[in-house]
Amino acid sequence: MSMDQRPDLRQQVTLLELVDRVLNKGVVLSGDITLSVADVDLVYVGLRVLLSSVATLEEQGMPVAIGDALR
Amino acid sequence: MSATHEPLDKLLAGSGDLDRIAGELEHIQEAFPRRVNADPEKVERGLAQLVLTLVELLRQLMERQALRRMEGGNLTDEQLDRLGETFMKLDQRMTELKAEFGLEDRDLNLNLGPLGNLL
Amino acid sequence: MIHVYGIVDELDSLPPLEGVGDAPLARRRIGDLELVVSETPRDEVTQEAVLRHAEVVEGLMTHSRAVLPAQFSRPFADGEELASAVSAKAPELAESLSRVRGCVELGLRVVAPASESSPSAESGAEYLRARLDDERRRSRLIADIDEPLARLSQATAGARATGNVFERAYLVREEDLSAFLDTVRELETEHPELALACTGPWPPYSFGAEAGQ
Repeated sequence: MSMDQRPDLRQQVTLLELVDRVLNKGVVLSGDITLSVADVDLVYVGLRVLLSSVATLEEQGMPVAIGDALR
Repeated sequence: MSATHEPLDKLLAGSGDLDRIAGELEHIQEAFPRRVNADPEKVERGLAQLVLTLVELLRQLMERQALRRMEGGNLTDEQLDRLGETFMKLDQRMTELKAEFGLEDRDLNLNLGPLGNLL
Repeated sequence: MIHVYGIVDELDSLPPLEGVGDAPLARRRIGDLELVVSETPRDEVTQEAVLRHAEVVEGLMTHSRAVLPAQFSRPFADGEELASAVSAKAPELAESLSRVRGCVELGLRVVAPASESSPSAESGAEYLRARLDDERRRSRLIADIDEPLARLSQATAGARATGNVFERAYLVREEDLSAFLDTVRELETEHPELALACTGPWPPYSFGAEAGQ
């Protein structure tokens, strides 16, 4: 199994790895969604906070009550 | 050294299909802030993405809980069967829904920061 | 607003680069720690800004004894906010800085072949057992790969194992670099079914400076 030598692909992977590494995921609201109409932000859905809470509880091995995650 | 002027290659070792690695990384470009616009073509897909992501989260959590209970030995055979069948159907339904809306696993994969990704 | 690139140790001089948005780089001492920063008018995340940030950090690596990089984060409102954030974490930051001295970050990303997620299971119980097997197989594979590499590292971070993808960052001393890569190549040979990429050497982004937070 030898390493892929295609320079474009290698550079693409390098670039994506770089961005993945350098960019603080907490800053970029991936996982939160803003619904907008005509560029006016109307509804902000803070999914990430909810999902983080649920995932944390689950990792702790406890049965998850969504109510707990929202607290 | 300028990252934007010189081609940058930091691949030290690798094997197998590098395209598969690149495929997994592509979503990173989406990390730059995005909006779901109420463009009639996109809004339905955006809402579907939202809903299916939540459903997928719950499905995975529940399935994992079931596996833990199964390992713990506190489920009867009948319960195991019923649970398993439900999850099978749910899994299948999710596959159908994703196909219907043209969504990949990656589209439902939310980044949870330090907790990693959902999927 | 103030954008932070990282904390440096014995920086001989600022690299001949401009910072994000072409702003000049500046050194700033907060307590016993020295930071490299620049002024930024906008709180904006673009690929160009991220790449410039990375370029500056690489430049700092060649000009100092150690760098604890900051990830590209929200800028600080002003010097006071920055100073209080840094002072609050000064001991941890100093410790992280010394931990990364003489080390680089290597990233590992592994993609396993997609498992059949819809087995033609005959019963619900069979389905669940198959899922459990999948889960256990994944854990074993991850351990097979991670353990030998973690042994050659000073620290690991950023572990994510989702679906059929596994990724982790390893903090490796310069002198352990070739042993680490040899081990990666051994793992490649042992697991021909996997797509694997080891990238680096990177500045140790995953190992400390939550100075940006």
